[in-house]
Amino acid sequence: MLKKIINNKQYNLIILTLIYVITFIGLYMVYSSSSIWAKFYYNDEFYYFKRQAIFILIGTVLLYFFSKVKLSFLRKKALMILLIGIISLILVIIPFLGSQINGSRSWFKIGPFLFQPAEFFKIIMVLYMADRLDKYFNITKYFFKTILVLLIPCIIGFILIMLQPDFGTAIVMFSSIIMMCFISKNKFKNYLFLLSFAIIAFIVLIIISPYRSDRIQSFINPFSDPLGSGFQTIQSLYAIAPGGLIGKGIDASYQKYFYLPEPQTDFIFAIFAEDFGFIGCLILIILYTLLAFFIIKKAINEKSNYKCFLDIGVLSLIMIQVCINLCVVVGVIPVTGITLPFMSYGGSSITMLLSSIGLLINRSDEINEYNNVR
Amino acid sequence: MVHQNIKKKVNYYKLFIYFIMFVIIAKLSYIQIINYQDINNKANQSWDRSFPLQPSRGIIYDTNLNEIATNLPSMSIYVIPSQVKDLNSLANTLANVLNVSSSKIYNKINKKTSIVKIFPEGKNIDNIIAKKISEMRLEGVYLVYDNKRYYPYNELLAHSIGFVGIDNQGLAGIESKYDDLLKGNEGQLNYKLDAKGRLLNGYSSDIISPINGFNIQLTIDLKIQQILERELKNAFLKYEAESIFAIAMDPNNGEILAISSYPSFNLNDYKSYDQEIYNRNLPIWKSYEPGSTFKVFSYAAGLEEKAFDMFKDKYYDDGTEIVDGFTIKSWKKGGHGLQTFLEVLENSSNPGFVEISRRLGKDTLYDYVKKFGFSKKTNVDLIGESSGIFFKKENYNNLENATTSFGQGISVTQIQMVRAFSSVINGGKLFKPKITKAILMPNSNEIIYQIPTIVDNENVISKKTSELMRYALESVVAKGSGRKAYIENYRVGGKTGTAQIAENGVYLQGQYILSFIAALPMSNPEIVVYICMEKPHSLIQYGGTIVGPIMKNVLLDIISYKNISRQDNELSFEYTWMDIKNYPVDNYINMSIKDVKSKHFKFVILGDGDKVISQLPKANEIIEEGKEVILFT
Repeated sequence: MLKKIINNKQYNLIILTLIYVITFIGLYMVYSSSSIWAKFYYNDEFYYFKRQAIFILIGTVLLYFFSKVKLSFLRKKALMILLIGIISLILVIIPFLGSQINGSRSWFKIGPFLFQPAEFFKIIMVLYMADRLDKYFNITKYFFKTILVLLIPCIIGFILIMLQPDFGTAIVMFSSIIMMCFISKNKFKNYLFLLSFAIIAFIVLIIISPYRSDRIQSFINPFSDPLGSGFQTIQSLYAIAPGGLIGKGIDASYQKYFYLPEPQTDFIFAIFAEDFGFIGCLILIILYTLLAFFIIKKAINEKSNYKCFLDIGVLSLIMIQVCINLCVVVGVIPVTGITLPFMSYGGSSITMLLSSIGLLINRSDEINEYNNVR
Repeated sequence: MVHQNIKKKVNYYKLFIYFIMFVIIAKLSYIQIINYQDINNKANQSWDRSFPLQPSRGIIYDTNLNEIATNLPSMSIYVIPSQVKDLNSLANTLANVLNVSSSKIYNKINKKTSIVKIFPEGKNIDNIIAKKISEMRLEGVYLVYDNKRYYPYNELLAHSIGFVGIDNQGLAGIESKYDDLLKGNEGQLNYKLDAKGRLLNGYSSDIISPINGFNIQLTIDLKIQQILERELKNAFLKYEAESIFAIAMDPNNGEILAISSYPSFNLNDYKSYDQEIYNRNLPIWKSYEPGSTFKVFSYAAGLEEKAFDMFKDKYYDDGTEIVDGFTIKSWKKGGHGLQTFLEVLENSSNPGFVEISRRLGKDTLYDYVKKFGFSKKTNVDLIGESSGIFFKKENYNNLENATTSFGQGISVTQIQMVRAFSSVINGGKLFKPKITKAILMPNSNEIIYQIPTIVDNENVISKKTSELMRYALESVVAKGSGRKAYIENYRVGGKTGTAQIAENGVYLQGQYILSFIAALPMSNPEIVVYICMEKPHSLIQYGGTIVGPIMKNVLLDIISYKNISRQDNELSFEYTWMDIKNYPVDNYINMSIKDVKSKHFKFVILGDGDKVISQLPKANEIIEEGKEVILFT
């Protein structure tokens, strides 16, 4: 028992190291990719860099906080937290309260900062779901029905986020929850049903919104409309390919010179690929894969099913986003508007991610258990 | 402890993540490694802009490295459409300055291309317009250094030099023949632009320097060319001839020293001339009956074959010869009487040549005509050469043989004549004529390729025959039909020709090509000059009379330019009825008007006195017979 505790401690150390290595690579890339636009808009090439640095600091404080908070307390208050989350999602789509940027009403404006409730709703949803899945873990008879019931707040959240609209966040949240259900005691064929439900929902969403079908169209042939919907895909390719095997070198990207719009957010990996080439990309992808590997190692090493669900939920929030973002940037799937965790610029995103890492490395349950054993 | 079921499924999850990461890496390796070149090129196109840097076209020099074709710096306009806010107003502005229609400009600049060359309207614009445009500081408009072909001597050597088009591509003559060597390679100034069309600072723009074209050294001697063209132009204007053309050649290596053709054109303004004028380099293009100048070759064949001894053997010219029932007349009524064969050449007696052709036989003379290089191209390095026309062997009978011997029925080009004549006087070597001496490195003028001297036939005639021919030709000038070109103390040899022009098989009445081919000094010939004049407006239609004086002027100037030394033991000049003689003026001063008399001169007396006070010209000055001497009393 003691040995495993030490092991989990080690995993935490490894995970934290990986997270901060990626975060600081990200911080540098935010500076490198955004400096030209920042200078253009704000006459300050460090504009995004400074803000990102502050967010990382705030996120680190939150990380510390969530690593120390008693998980049992969060479990008790899970329903209430969920309610707060849903209310904030309702408030943000009310025109006078939420701020609209790029056609999506996803932000509360607080001083100079923008706060995106959907980002935090994701982790709230993971907390709630981990709690429920653990509670109903041993009920096998009406399990399928139970799961559907459990999914109701998730579906409400999904719809609310889609109303902003923020397709990317909604998809990441929804898939993360599905992944959590997947590892529960649920039978595989039931999971297939859920999956097909998700796929149908996805297709319907594409059909009902024309700009999304444009994106699919431009994905199939980005050069069909190089200045329209294929623009980002092409500009992304124009950044990645010239990187070649070893890259152009630090800060040598051309595509950040206004070719790629907002290179510090969704397409930061393209600029990274331009500067550091295939080898740099490989190293970064290995870092993310190692992160997944150690989180999973930790998850199956947990003392409780609850913590395991929570770990897998956090892992899903990170890795589904990583997978979708990288697939978009390299052109495997159409443009969805999802940032790269720990790399892309974004206050809500980085603080949420660091908070969730805090929950991940939280060992309050272990100590309880340890105490109990003694 | 985590439930076993969860552990199992988490492992699936892990594999799922690995799988997606693998897909991403696979796609990345496809983009960055396998398909790298293709996308990278496209990306570079979107970043890179390049201005073409024009090379300097190779300079064309004469043999002494005087520039005959050179370049002037100029400016050309380029537009980067992405940097232009209002294409329409820019089109209007440029159209105004360049004085062309604005829709033309608009169509050119309204393109997705990164850089547009305003061509040809904005190519090589003049300085005033360039200055105007640069002062307007138009956004997206660039003036790029260019260069423009320039021919400092305008008409000089026009047909052979040729000219270039607006884009500096050789279109005619040497400019076209050696275009690949002359044009050089375009360079590029490459630099990167950001998506807002501004220069990317800190990213080095790379320059691929243009490679200048090779220079070309001609065999042409500018000075001789100028002499020849001046005389030709004067004669062209004086006689209102249809055309006049000439070649000067070094007989010892086949190098063309001067080549000229009138009507001519200004190389810097070729477009204002008729195509027929600039496309026809007459000395190599025109194929015509040479007339008596051709006798040189049948005569040389006769000497080589020992058909006669030119000093001892005699021939009686009674004015006609009959060949296969056709009568061939001498140009002089009643013929030249009894003459040695040397006199047959001096007098250019046609019946005498019929006799020579008879003695040679048709096969022999036919072979000589071929051996002298007629009826095929000389392969001189100029564009537009004709091959001339000669009978087919099966159609070549006694009559054809007879007329060929005095230059009728055969059609030749001037270049063929000059090189054949050179072989007659240089000891028998038939050279391939050439106008290019060497290819030179740009800037340094270091020779990188010397055009070789090629001998097409080592021994058309023997050295001995050649020596005899030089004597005979000198004698033609000293005593015969070439007297008008006689220059005291400078052993000129040559032959005249007066050929009726045939059109559609009929000889035109009173329409001639008058010609004179001459070389000097006959002891060791340095230069051959051949001048032809087509249809001059003149009463006298003899090559010797009309072209002779032109030839003399040319030769005199060449003598002084080339510093050809005086020769003794020349053949002395013999006067005939055809010549106007010169006499020294006597001293009439202090003589009484009544006593003033002269066999040679007329007198104009000014004043009322009896005694001559002064005279013009002064005593002992040599003037032509029949001229006036002015006496002041």
